[in-house]
Amino acid sequence: MDVTKEQMRHMYRTMVRIRKFESNAQNDFANGKIPGFLHLYLGEEAIATGVCENLNKDDFITSTHRGHGHIIAKGGDMKYMMAELYGKSTGYCKGKGGSMHIADRDLGILGANGIVGAGQDIAVGAGLSCKYRKTQQVCACFFGDGSTNQGTFHEALNMASIWKLPVIFVCENNHFGISMSQSRHQAIKDIADRAAAYGIPGVAVDGNDAMAVYEAANEAIARARKGQGPTLIECKTWRWRGHFEGDPAIYKDPKEQEEWVAREPVKRFREFLEENGVMTADEMDKVDAEVDQEIKDAVQFAEESPLPKPEDVGKDVYTDFDEEVRVR
Amino acid sequence: MSSIGIIANPASGKDIRRLVSYATTIDNQEKVNIVKRIVLAAQSVGVDKIYFMPDSFQFGWVVIDDLELDGNLTASCEVLQIPYMACAEDTTRTAAWMEEHSLGCVVVLGGDGTSRAAAKGLKDVPLLPVSTGTNNVYPEYTEGTVAGMAAGIAAGADDPAEFCLRDKRIEVSVDGEFRDIALVDAVVSDDLWVGSRAIWDVKKIEHIVAARSHPASIGFSAAAGCLEVIRPEDDRALALHLCGDDETKAVRKIKAPVAAGILSPVDIQEIRELGIGEAYSFTAEHNCMLALDGEREIRVREGQEVSFRLTRNGPLRVNIEKTLEKAVEHGLFNRD
Repeated sequence: MDVTKEQMRHMYRTMVRIRKFESNAQNDFANGKIPGFLHLYLGEEAIATGVCENLNKDDFITSTHRGHGHIIAKGGDMKYMMAELYGKSTGYCKGKGGSMHIADRDLGILGANGIVGAGQDIAVGAGLSCKYRKTQQVCACFFGDGSTNQGTFHEALNMASIWKLPVIFVCENNHFGISMSQSRHQAIKDIADRAAAYGIPGVAVDGNDAMAVYEAANEAIARARKGQGPTLIECKTWRWRGHFEGDPAIYKDPKEQEEWVAREPVKRFREFLEENGVMTADEMDKVDAEVDQEIKDAVQFAEESPLPKPEDVGKDVYTDFDEEVRVR
Repeated sequence: MSSIGIIANPASGKDIRRLVSYATTIDNQEKVNIVKRIVLAAQSVGVDKIYFMPDSFQFGWVVIDDLELDGNLTASCEVLQIPYMACAEDTTRTAAWMEEHSLGCVVVLGGDGTSRAAAKGLKDVPLLPVSTGTNNVYPEYTEGTVAGMAAGIAAGADDPAEFCLRDKRIEVSVDGEFRDIALVDAVVSDDLWVGSRAIWDVKKIEHIVAARSHPASIGFSAAAGCLEVIRPEDDRALALHLCGDDETKAVRKIKAPVAAGILSPVDIQEIRELGIGEAYSFTAEHNCMLALDGEREIRVREGQEVSFRLTRNGPLRVNIEKTLEKAVEHGLFNRD
C-alpha cells in the first residue's frame, strides 16, 4: 500500500476541517444560531478522513445522522453545509433539510440520513448500480454500532455479499447507540465478527488512528474495485459529545471518556506527521489558520444568506417524476 | 491446592490479515467456549483456584456465569479487579500480577502478539499459550480441554521445569536503550506508521531476525524457516538481510508462506546465524518501523542504531505433549 506525503497533508487538512467545523457548530448551536438537531462527529475525524482519502470523486458514500465529517471528507463545501445548518436558502437542501439530510450527487454523497441504518440499503443500491454499469466505482457506507442491530444491516450485508457488490461497510463503533452503551445493546464486542455470517472479510481497526483506517480502507476498496465484493471494517472510536447537542451524556463513565479523549485522533495524526517529517509544526499551524478562515467565511456566508421563503415550503419536497424521466 | 490464571485477548483474530490474506476468523463466543473447556479440564486435574484477566468482553464473567448455571463449576473463580484499558498493557500487567502471586500456570489465548505481551510480565510462572489468531508461531493450535489438562498438571507439579522450556527471546534496543522483546521474530519494515499493526508485504521488509524458524509456520519467521529449521530448543537464531527491489544482490531466492494462503518470493542478500548473547545490529538508513512478532511496534529514525540480541530470557513455556506424557508416566490419570 502506498500513500504519498501529499495525501497525508491532505488528510491533515481534512481532519482539521472536520474538527473546526464541528467545534464551531457546537458553539453556534449553544448560542442559538443553529436550529434543529445537531449530532457532532467530534473525536471520530480519523474515520471519514482515512476512508474518503481512498475514494475518487465519482465514488459514492452513504452517511448517517452524524454525517458532517463524512460530507467534508468527501469534498462537501463547508459554506453550503453551514448555510444548511443555519436553515438558509443557500444550503445544500435550501435550508429545509438541516444537519441530517445533506447530500450532493455531484460528489457522490447520497445523503446523511436521519433514520438509523437506512444508509446501508442505499449503499447496496449504489453498489448494484456500479456493478450493473460495469464502472470501477465503489460505495463507502458509514454507520454506527447501534445500527448493526437493525434489520437493514443484515439485509445489506447479505445482499452485497451474494452479489459481490463494491460496497465498503464502515462501522463507526463509538460505543453508544443513543444513550445505550454497546455492552448493553449487543452481546458481542467486535462488530467485525458479524462479517463471517455473510461470508465477507471483517476487520477491526483503531478508528482514532487515521493511518490504520486509511490502510484497511485502501485494501478493502482495492478489493471492491477488483470485483471481489464487500468488506466490513469496524473502526473503534468514541463519541466525545452526547448523542445530540443538549444531551448531558450522564450515562458515560467520566474515566472512560477521559481515556478515550487522551487518544485524540487529530493530535495523534499531527504528532505522526511531525515525527516522520511529512509536515512541520509551522506548516500545520498554517493549515489550522487557513481552516479557521474557511470556517469564518462559511459562517459569514450562512449568516448573510436569506431564509427560505414561506411560499417555497412545498417546493423540492417531492421529485417531479415526469420531469426526471423526460430529462434522462 | 493449585491455581492457574487465564488471559484471553478479545481483540485477537480480527485484524487486517482477514483482508490482505486468507486468515482465520475467530469470534469471541468461540473463545468463550475454549476458555470453558480449559476451566473444566483444569479443575478435573486438581486446579481449585482460577483467576481471569478483566477485559472488555468480560470473558471471565461469561464463563463463570455459564458454568455455574450448568452446575459444572467446582473451582473457585475470580475475575481480577485491576484496571484495564483494552490494550496490550492489560495482558502484561495481568501476567505480572500472576507472576507476583506465584500462580501455578498462566494460560494465554491469542496470537503471537498476545503471548509476547504476557511474556513481558512473566518470569518463573509457566506460560501455556493457546492460538486464537493468525500467522501464529508461538502459541500452539490445541484443543481447550488438552490445554486445560496440561495447565492443571503444570500448576500442580513440584518441578514444572521438567516439562517446560525456557524460551529464547530477541531483545530489541535502539541507540543502546532496551525497548522491547520478540519471542519469534523481529522484522524491519519500510513502513512509517503503526497503522493496522500487522505486516504482510514482503517488498517492505529489509531485515528479519528469527529466534525460531520452520517452513510449517506462517509469517516472516517462515521465510527463515524455508532456508533452515531452527527449533525452540536450539541455541541460535537466523538473521536475514533482504534485497528489497534489487534482486541482483540475492544470494538466495526462495518462496515462503509469509501470510495465510500466500507464498511470496523472498530474495536474501545476507544470511547470518546468531548464538545466544549475540546481536544483529545496523544503522537505520531511513525512517522505518520495527515489527515484533508480526506487529508494527517501534518507530526508528534515520541514523538510529538498532540491535536485536538473542537471549534465553524468555518465558518458561509449557510443552503440552511432554506434560501429558509425564502425567501418564506418573499415573496422574489413574482412578485407583
